[in-house]
Amino acid sequence: MIITDTTSSDSDGSSSLALSGRFDAHEADGFRAAVDPLVEAGTSSIDVGLSDVEFIDSTALAELVRLMKRCREIGGDLRLRAPSDPVRVILELTRLDAAFEIV
Amino acid sequence: MSVSTEQVSPVESLTAALIDANDQLLALYDMATLHTDSLDEHQSVNQILHTARGLMHVDELEMVPGEHVAPTTDRRTAAISVTDPSGTASTLVATRSSSPFTTGDAKLLTAVAHLAMRAQHTARMHAAAVEQAIVRHEHDLASELVQRALPADRPHIPCARLFARTDPARTAGGDLYSFSFVGDTFHFVVGDVSGKGLPAALMMSNVVNAAQRSFTDHGEQGPAAVLGGIDRWMHDALSDADMFVTLIAGSFDPRAGRLALANAGHSPVYFVHDGAAESIEASRPPIGVLPNLGCEQIEHIVAPSDRFVGASDGFPEQVDDSGTMYGEERFEAALIEPADDIEEFGSGLFDTVETFAGNSTQSDDRTLFMLEFGTAS
Repeated sequence: MIITDTTSSDSDGSSSLALSGRFDAHEADGFRAAVDPLVEAGTSSIDVGLSDVEFIDSTALAELVRLMKRCREIGGDLRLRAPSDPVRVILELTRLDAAFEIV
Repeated sequence: MSVSTEQVSPVESLTAALIDANDQLLALYDMATLHTDSLDEHQSVNQILHTARGLMHVDELEMVPGEHVAPTTDRRTAAISVTDPSGTASTLVATRSSSPFTTGDAKLLTAVAHLAMRAQHTARMHAAAVEQAIVRHEHDLASELVQRALPADRPHIPCARLFARTDPARTAGGDLYSFSFVGDTFHFVVGDVSGKGLPAALMMSNVVNAAQRSFTDHGEQGPAAVLGGIDRWMHDALSDADMFVTLIAGSFDPRAGRLALANAGHSPVYFVHDGAAESIEASRPPIGVLPNLGCEQIEHIVAPSDRFVGASDGFPEQVDDSGTMYGEERFEAALIEPADDIEEFGSGLFDTVETFAGNSTQSDDRTLFMLEFGTAS
């Protein structure tokens, strides 16, 4: 998995990043290492682009759920942007599409 | 010219030097042929130092951690620092009051320091290997014990045959199934805790315990109520551990032929009827994501040869040697095949996906829970 296009805005406490490739148990630590500093720095709203993610597993979904909860705890939210078809299918099968804000 | 009787003649001096050199050669030979018979760090180093102490007639000889330097003005104290292959430095410190250390003594002390360092390093590697073996043994034992949360018995269910099996990708996994009778009704859950290995398996055993309790407390109200009970029992524990569990709960009433289902984010789940596999969609996210969510309950009146199939994503997500996934379509097609023996049929599905995988490793836990109706023996 590659994390690209990481941008932060100090003015409104938001950040965005995009993922590509496989997002699975092997990539969970790398994702956590990338997003945790954002939340610890006070970023409450994070936008994660998923249009180029080819595969996502339950460990990766748990990482997104974890990030969503952390953002909501500090008054923000996690937005999943343009999930690819394989990701959208998994989100629908698990009904996690009802838990996330998807744009 | 008078000659002092205390003056040493050149011959005596040469003889003394030769004797010293010979003593050092013998000492070096003894050191080189010394065998320590202990893998305890302190015992093996002490054995070497004890031998060297006697051979070199030193008062004190010890191996201390770190790098140290002896005073340059005092040739009766020597310090030889060495570094083992892991980069850890130690220093052999020697004191001798009877005579100053010579250049030859220094070389011998260096040999002793290296010998002690190697014994020390070997003992430490051995201790680390033993520690690793103990941790691995305990991990394997814990994995084996935690997998025992899954029921081994296959109860007789009137008007239905049960197949249930899970193959963890590692020694333990987060896939689960559990079942129990409440009155005449057969209750079950099939699920998948996020994550892999022993952490997921430990949470899995808690979910199984919660399911058993919820069967008893809420079984009469149906599977949606059973899911609600598990949710109340497990949500905080799952959420605190940054985990969730996808779970389908079901009940089968043999007298009415009624199958009731409630699905919290689990997939793949099918009801096979008349040669077609209908996917049982989830009506809420998995347990552990958001608190206090309700769940819809659906019901089917079953006919002979109908099947309920609750599997885990380890089946469709298995890849072959080229990286192609087995996929939902192949899995669905395999599920609708007629079968005389549910045990043989279920095992065959495991074999099929294993054959498909080829040399690719099992990427996730595989679980298959099937009820085939109307074929009770």
